[in-house]
Amino acid sequence: MRVTDKMNQASVLNNITKNRTEMNNLQSQASTLKRVTKPSDDPLASTRVLQARTEDRNYQQFQKNIFNAKSFLEFTDQTLSELTEVMVRAKELAIQAASDTGGSTPREVSAAEVRQLFDQTVGLANRRVGERYIFSGYKTTTMPFDSTGNYFGDDGDIKIQTHKDAYVAMNISGDKVFLGKGLGVDGNARARGETPVSIEQVQQFKAKELQRESDKKEFEQTDVQVRGPAAVGQTSAVGHKDPQSGSEGINLFSALQTLAIGMQTNDKPTIQETIEVLDQAMSQVVRMRAEVGARMNAMNATFEGLQKSILDNKSIASQLEDADMFQVVSDINKTESTLKASMETSSKLLNQSLMDFLR
Amino acid sequence: MAKITSMMDIGKRSMMNSQTALTTVAHNMANKSTEGYSRQRVDQVAGPSINEGRLNIGTGARAAAVTRTNNPWLERQLEKEGAEFKALETRADGMSKVENIFNEQTNKSINVYVADFFNSFRELANAPESTTARTVVKESAEQMTNEFKKVHGQLTGVQKSLDNTIEFAVVELNQQIKEIAQLNEKIQHVEVTGGVANDERDRRDLLLKKISEKADITYGEDRKTGMVSVTLGKTAILVSGSLHTALKTVNDEDNKVRIMYELSPGGTSVDVSSQISKGSMGAALDLRDHLIDDLKNGLNDMAMSIAEQVNAAHREGYDRTGQMGGSFFRIDGNARQPTLTFDLSTTVAEDVSRIAAAAKPGAPGDNTVANVLHNIQFEPMMGDGTTIDDFYNSKVGQIGILTQRANKGFEAQQNVITQLSNLRESISGVSLDEEAAKMIEYQKAFEASARLIKVADEMFDTVLNLKRL
Repeated sequence: MRVTDKMNQASVLNNITKNRTEMNNLQSQASTLKRVTKPSDDPLASTRVLQARTEDRNYQQFQKNIFNAKSFLEFTDQTLSELTEVMVRAKELAIQAASDTGGSTPREVSAAEVRQLFDQTVGLANRRVGERYIFSGYKTTTMPFDSTGNYFGDDGDIKIQTHKDAYVAMNISGDKVFLGKGLGVDGNARARGETPVSIEQVQQFKAKELQRESDKKEFEQTDVQVRGPAAVGQTSAVGHKDPQSGSEGINLFSALQTLAIGMQTNDKPTIQETIEVLDQAMSQVVRMRAEVGARMNAMNATFEGLQKSILDNKSIASQLEDADMFQVVSDINKTESTLKASMETSSKLLNQSLMDFLR
Repeated sequence: MAKITSMMDIGKRSMMNSQTALTTVAHNMANKSTEGYSRQRVDQVAGPSINEGRLNIGTGARAAAVTRTNNPWLERQLEKEGAEFKALETRADGMSKVENIFNEQTNKSINVYVADFFNSFRELANAPESTTARTVVKESAEQMTNEFKKVHGQLTGVQKSLDNTIEFAVVELNQQIKEIAQLNEKIQHVEVTGGVANDERDRRDLLLKKISEKADITYGEDRKTGMVSVTLGKTAILVSGSLHTALKTVNDEDNKVRIMYELSPGGTSVDVSSQISKGSMGAALDLRDHLIDDLKNGLNDMAMSIAEQVNAAHREGYDRTGQMGGSFFRIDGNARQPTLTFDLSTTVAEDVSRIAAAAKPGAPGDNTVANVLHNIQFEPMMGDGTTIDDFYNSKVGQIGILTQRANKGFEAQQNVITQLSNLRESISGVSLDEEAAKMIEYQKAFEASARLIKVADEMFDTVLNLKRL
């Protein structure tokens, strides 16, 4: 084949350019420690990396959600534990007062303490995390109970997303804990298990809520709560069935109130009856605590799962986009020697000319 | 019988021939690096012999023609592959610009901002009462809409740079067709007398190659006149004989450059853009009008879907003031590029308490609608039944694949061109070694011819001095 000077020149240039491009590539891999620095380096990997990154962001957000909800629940748990103590003390006083040994004076003293316990309960019911009342349902900025135990919150469950399709309520509404409403089969009381996640679902949810609200209103209008006086001997709220849950809940405030009045009026049968009611009240609070505990456990499990997913995601992304340093460095050495070799041969090739020999 | 004068004459013409050949060698050497140059040779033929009795006596050599060493078939192939090469080069170049916009390996873009936007609603669901959480929602929504607009603008920027490529190519092409028309005239002028216009033909071949690199042209040579006529696409005649018609560019309603051909001087122009599919202009037009427009439409779809879905969910909710939620975003679906109108609604932008998180009024802790809003991220809301993330990620993957393909195609084509250029060089290229050898050959011939004249001169002397001997 006829080889001309231009051909030599072109091939020398070509080879050196190729080697230099390769060197440049390897250098950028070595300096960024990434194998994939742009989508075209590995389109599939870069798509997967993007996915992993979004997932990572979501998982971290879920962790934040859980963290936030957990602190809320922990505070609720703490409050409920204090509430249990209040109930225990009330029961102790009731038992003391129910026995005949004390006489009338100690009963009056106990009545004062029970009133104090009543105030304490109101205080607990109005606890806040930051600016949010923990027992007022959705109405987190409204103080849920006034000093006589009337409820101003609602029965909303604040649902927090803990994973892609998982929601956990982070609060327990005050009417459940202190008034004993909506206990029992929760699903009947409201659609607690489901969290609306689409527009159709939220529309249905809103319709159902409206229906439920009007049901509740109707019930509350016919349900006249009677507290004291001692002559009546019991509150009609005790043992009353909730129209939707069908469960029997205790109104803690009424119970304490009844006890106090019973003590004040030396009404032994009422006091004795209240012991039974307070027992029920305690188990009601304990049930609430159990629910809170169960939610926290579920969240802890989800949290660990998330942590593992985050790690998995990171390692997948790393496998896909990170450079293998040993490989890169050895490739650099290889390319460097190739580059040197092509330069050396070039210097020999380009210097050859017949002219040098024609003297 | 041979004559001494004829010997002298042969020597003289031989010297002249050698001089011609040496000049051609010089011409070759000088044009060693000229693009498109084919090496030239002097064709020498033996002169007619004179018949004297039984003897045929030669009359030396004469230079018949100067011809170029050129393989037209190879040139055609080189032209075809060169057009493909330039197309791939433009494509790879444009694609890498597009890829840069969507490269989230190194910088934050839509993927991140969309995730942040939905996560801000999760943060709002954690604390719907909080003004901070609401402000974060507003900020991240603004960042997202800005990012959409930014990416859209960057794509327009790439389209503009492709427009520049096209405009520049048209300017070059116009100069080249003008030169071809001039060369046509020259070639006809030279060749009508029977010669061959080697250098003009080399130059014209090169120009035709250069035009092929820009757009699809067909051309043919008139056997009688040696002139070529050049047609762009199917209808636009650029060069006919010594006349040429320049192309023009205008901007259309999308502010894109269109290529126009004037049917008659100063007369009506027709749009020939759609006839161009090859070369750098063809590739630039294809990228601009298909790939990048598709990506822009994808962005528009995404912006529209997000706005519609978020608005629909937001309207179901109640805000902190107890009013029903209005639109969260505003977007003009009838605009040419809806993305550019993608923005927060004025109500939300002015007052974050108007963000509707609750499913009923007067319940500041209700996050039901906030939960619905962030769940949109996982809803299959794009037209092809994918989520917004999947849709975007698959676009990035698609760009990656196209860029990779364009780069690989470009590299492969580069190898093809190198091969063909080598082949062309080995036929038409100038080799200095070869020229040096020729130079010596003709120099020696020149010397020998001079010597011949001297011998003839001495022979004359001998004859004239016969008497004195």
